[in-house]
Amino acid sequence: MNARNPLYLDWAATAYPDPEITEKVREVSEACFGNPSSIHRAGREAEKLLAESRKRLAAVLRCREEEVVFTSGGTEANNMALFSLLRGRKAKKIIISGIEHASIYQPAGTLKELGFDVAAIKTDRFGFIDPAAVEAELDERTALVALMLVNNETGAIQPVAEVARLLVEYRKNTGRKILLHTDAVQAFGKIPFKPVELGVDSASISAHKIGGPRGVGALYLRRGGSYLFLYSGGGQEGGQRPGTENLPGVCGFILAAEKKAVSLKANLESSAGLMSSLLAELQTMEGLTIIPPGRGDDKEKHFSPYILNLAFPPIPGEVTVRVLEEEGFLISTGSACSSKKKNRFRVVENMNIPKEIAISIVRISIGPETQKDDLRRFSAALKKRIPALLRITG
Amino acid sequence: METCYLIKYGELALKGGNRAGFEKQLCRDIKRKLQGIEFELTRRIGRLYIRCELKNEPVIVRALSHTFGIVAFSRAFQVEKDMPLIEEAAAGLAESLLEQGPGNRFKIEARRSDKSFFLTSYEIACRLGDVLRARFPELMVDLHHPDWTLNVEIREAAYLYGPETKAPGGLPSGSSGKGLLLLSGGIDSPVAGYLMGKRGLKLDAAYFHTPPFTSEKAKEKVEHMTNILSEYLTGTALHVVPFTETQVRIKERARSEEVTLLMRACMVNIAAIIAEKTGSICLVTGESLGQVASQTPESIRFTGHGTDFPIFRPLIGLDKEQIVSLARKIGTFETSILPYEDCCTLFSPAHPLVRPDYESMVRSFQELEADALLQKAAAEAQIISF
Repeated sequence: MNARNPLYLDWAATAYPDPEITEKVREVSEACFGNPSSIHRAGREAEKLLAESRKRLAAVLRCREEEVVFTSGGTEANNMALFSLLRGRKAKKIIISGIEHASIYQPAGTLKELGFDVAAIKTDRFGFIDPAAVEAELDERTALVALMLVNNETGAIQPVAEVARLLVEYRKNTGRKILLHTDAVQAFGKIPFKPVELGVDSASISAHKIGGPRGVGALYLRRGGSYLFLYSGGGQEGGQRPGTENLPGVCGFILAAEKKAVSLKANLESSAGLMSSLLAELQTMEGLTIIPPGRGDDKEKHFSPYILNLAFPPIPGEVTVRVLEEEGFLISTGSACSSKKKNRFRVVENMNIPKEIAISIVRISIGPETQKDDLRRFSAALKKRIPALLRITG
Repeated sequence: METCYLIKYGELALKGGNRAGFEKQLCRDIKRKLQGIEFELTRRIGRLYIRCELKNEPVIVRALSHTFGIVAFSRAFQVEKDMPLIEEAAAGLAESLLEQGPGNRFKIEARRSDKSFFLTSYEIACRLGDVLRARFPELMVDLHHPDWTLNVEIREAAYLYGPETKAPGGLPSGSSGKGLLLLSGGIDSPVAGYLMGKRGLKLDAAYFHTPPFTSEKAKEKVEHMTNILSEYLTGTALHVVPFTETQVRIKERARSEEVTLLMRACMVNIAAIIAEKTGSICLVTGESLGQVASQTPESIRFTGHGTDFPIFRPLIGLDKEQIVSLARKIGTFETSILPYEDCCTLFSPAHPLVRPDYESMVRSFQELEADALLQKAAAEAQIISF
């Protein structure tokens, strides 16, 4: 299997591996196997490489190296953000968006069981949070706001910077500091993202969404806060995330991050072009509902050009996925992480999309290797197979 | 002193003149289950014995506990019919039982099939009781509520054994002929297969696959289910029937409220074609009266109208809880509830007929003009052997 055959259009689930990065991971696994905590030569070399990696990721993120905590991925980083940042705080309310990834949404549910008040803000029909709705929820009990940067199902880019400004304003007026966390897993390496510029206190990123290896990610954690960390152990990562460091993974991650930083602008432009030609080609297709309906109509609402949601009601999304696989295209239903679960429609329900359409949604997500001709073939395959299915299921 | 497995079969023993045939069937089934394993199987009146190396015992135990026709089996000591040897074996057995710690109250159950043996059953029990109490002073005889029972059988040799392992009972696989099970992957049909297998049917299974509306995962689930069942039903073949064309024909031609019934009738007819071809003489389904609209008496009359094979529905009088409890017992439940739903719902009407009119359903069925499609589906079924 390669990224072309069958054509891989599920890059938001995981990116197609980059051979240079795979090779890097293998090389570090063998050449730099020491435990960075060991005091002998192998350990010292590993420690040096780890420190250098942290510096390099900090450079990509434009933050301080001590603000980078390596984790096992986005899910752990999100869990850490909620549990570690909230542990020991007096304020017992958090505000999240209703469209957060399960790795925020589920821990928020656990916090609720632990006595926190959780306000989940609904989106508008396009899948965007209104900063004013966040503002309306702010009060003296609020400890943290979690708002993802790019929604993994719809691609809607959330107004995180606006919310950050609101919180600064709120602090000026009341003297109370409310933390802001963003899940930037679908943003990092894909759209411009600098945590300091965005004004967040913490952010989660993951390696495998940008061509790096599985099992590694990072939490950006702004300096200056006093946090009580959830895990304890050998004191690695400044005690914030103990456990022997995944050095090969980290090195693969850094390489992926640096490569993406260099090509980000070009990738973004070409993906925007690809996406708008795909949308133009599909626009007139019978039976198609673009999710959200009217995507692109409002120029103020920005979508990631890497993600597109389509529906052909009443064809179940999974049927469309299977038929497209027969035609040589790998796509997904909704989000790959929750497509097997019962509450898989949470994100689109937030947008008031009816269940009949929700079950029909499929997600196409493109990556740097996707080409114009690929998407032309893809839309031809849709046009070839969908009308017959609509006749059978309609 | 030799060890062996002593196998008891209940109902077979009642089969009069057919008994030998049933016993042979059981032996064949055991041998098929233990292919590739070294063992020695002997048949004596009312009992089978298996001797094997110690390393093969776990495989043998697993196979015997999944063999229809066997009621129970035990690991036994076999010695010559000589009282000192029998006493020694009894003491050894008691020692190993006591190590497992079941308690100190015991009972000796003696049976003397060889009437030429010089002691009666009662005398054997008394002698062995005395020997054990002398050897293990902590032991107490308790005939009514023993913690454990030591069994002695005097046959062509003397056999001594402790607690029995239960097996499913019923009749040996194939002794009632061969049937075809309509297997869906849900909770009911595997249980129906188990129950009819237990009545001596050798079973093949048919699964109706409707890609792209049903997933590969759903098909794999049915394969997994067949694999679980095949521990009981040795030599099962799964026929994966391509059903999409038939499904589409129904969707195109039928009134929506008739869709489910017509679909089931088509499945039964395809199953009958496969049964005819593969030597099955009956069909088995997991229907339970009134469970869903297609399982009312009127619906069942129609869905079975296309075949003169008997259709066995062993779950017809069971509640869902009873079925679930059986499914748990035979180990299919956990697989049944895996969430690879197919898209049947896409084709199932919001308001299916509950009390269909027989004549009008038969007419609708004829209007499908599906005979060639059904033949083709049966012919193109993929066969997976277990």
